Amino acid sequence: MLTPASFGLAVVCIVPGLYTLALAFTHSSLGQPLAAWSGLGNFHALFQNPEFAQTLLRTVLYALPASFIQLSLGLLIALLLQALRQGQFVRSLVLLPLMTPPVLVGVAWKLLLAPAGGLVNGTLLRLGWIAEPVSLLGSDTWALPALALADTWQWLPFVVILCFAALQTLPADVFEAAALDGASTRGIFLKITLPLLAPALLGIFLLRVVMSLKTFDLVYILTAGGPGRATALASYEVWKTGLQNFDIGAAAAQTLLFSFAVAAVTWPILKALQWVERRTG
Amino acid sequence: MSYLPNTPTATLPPWQLLPSLKKLRLPWPRQRIWLRAALLAVLAFFILPLAFLVATSFKTRDEVLSGQFLPVRPTLANWPKVFEIAPLHWHLLNSLAVAVLSVLVTLTLAVPAVYAVVKLRRGPLLAGALLSSYVAPPVVALLPLFFLLRQLGLNNSIVGLGLVDGLMNVPVAFWLLRSFFKQIPLALDEAAWLDGVGYWRTLWRINLPLIWPGLVSTGLICLILSYNEFLLASVLNSRPDMRTITVAISLFQGERIVNFGQMAAASLVGIAPVYLLALAFQKYLIGGLSAGASR
Repeated sequence: MLTPASFGLAVVCIVPGLYTLALAFTHSSLGQPLAAWSGLGNFHALFQNPEFAQTLLRTVLYALPASFIQLSLGLLIALLLQALRQGQFVRSLVLLPLMTPPVLVGVAWKLLLAPAGGLVNGTLLRLGWIAEPVSLLGSDTWALPALALADTWQWLPFVVILCFAALQTLPADVFEAAALDGASTRGIFLKITLPLLAPALLGIFLLRVVMSLKTFDLVYILTAGGPGRATALASYEVWKTGLQNFDIGAAAAQTLLFSFAVAAVTWPILKALQWVERRTG
Repeated sequence: MSYLPNTPTATLPPWQLLPSLKKLRLPWPRQRIWLRAALLAVLAFFILPLAFLVATSFKTRDEVLSGQFLPVRPTLANWPKVFEIAPLHWHLLNSLAVAVLSVLVTLTLAVPAVYAVVKLRRGPLLAGALLSSYVAPPVVALLPLFFLLRQLGLNNSIVGLGLVDGLMNVPVAFWLLRSFFKQIPLALDEAAWLDGVGYWRTLWRINLPLIWPGLVSTGLICLILSYNEFLLASVLNSRPDMRTITVAISLFQGERIVNFGQMAAASLVGIAPVYLLALAFQKYLIGGLSAGASR
């Protein structure tokens, strides 16, 4: 019964893994893969140039804060829904951003943030908060946060649904006991809700970090990595090297480094999650 | 206990919101008002971009530039125009065919594996490998899959992309199905095995009828994931007549002078099928998504 899935895993994981390894150590083109052995040449070129290391750093510095902010907001909204007992209605409504194809999320936010005719600029201009249209996606400082904003619009609902589900699993009697003992709302949240939720929250955080590290569609649609390289995240960079510049060997070498970076970032979170789970039983 | 895994929570239709709002006017009215305002702000954040997209699709090029929310003189011209520019209906069909095929592939691979791991306690290694393979970004497999499919003559085909998407979604399906299968007591399976029913038959006749809501949830989520997929589709099915809808719309901005009204209309054409699915099956979707959180 395990055979079909093992086969699938081999096709999308093991074979590509080995193939990438082979590509990374050879000269290849799209027409002629694995044309000639090149040893460490591809890696050497990669380490000569700090650009890809910067890209990896940028990707991590994008994924971690964005995921953390989404987790915090998601928990806050889930608590709000619980307090107002509005869970079901709101959850059906926020399904829509979540289901939107990321490419189309990009298109929608491109329209919203457009300097000419975008909703954000139009509204700010009319309110008199800004004198002339600003181009968030064209600014070195704001392009990446704007990308994170579009990403948050899409994935915050997911975090809310998961946080809300986790909140429902908390035992009610603990809260009653705390309330009887005269605990403050803040005390209850910090000393009971948060510790009890810790495993679920860390799990959601891990999931979001993993997904954010993969971000490609939004970069492709919203900024194409620009301005300059301000929003060139790793997936986009690998794609560009391989399928725009057709440097297959370099793209494979980048892929390997990227995989190591992903493992290095997710591993500690996974360990922390397992540690918390063991502690809470 | 209920054998129905994760009984889908009933969702309130909008018209029932009014009575439930009335019910809420309880102890601390002022605090309630602030919370309500916060909730409205949250909803506005989620809904406004979509509303703006709809509004923009009825604007002429001049009206787009005015930055107004609603068009002053709405036009329908954008809608037929986008079908003239690109055969969106054709791309939609490509997307749907790929998505349906991929779901079949995913479930065929994932269901027996989950059964073996959860019920027969076999293959913990496979379970770990499957789940950790989800961590790898799809771009990692992009070039090898491209070469592999070309070797097999399956690039630029519905079958090739459907297979790849289906394989890619196996970890997600595995994760979701695991929590559903865990809710069926092992005693049921053991009773069947004792009576001499084989593993496959036990899976087919006893487990699947009990977890069909979970199966529907998982299938739907995988369907939407495949439909929304862009990176693999853009590279593996790059020939114009084989493009999926996400790829077709992404090219909309590149090929011609950007016309926001047309882009909005084209986007809505692409979004519509998923939204219809989401609205029709919302309880399964929420059930499936929440199931992912529980272990």
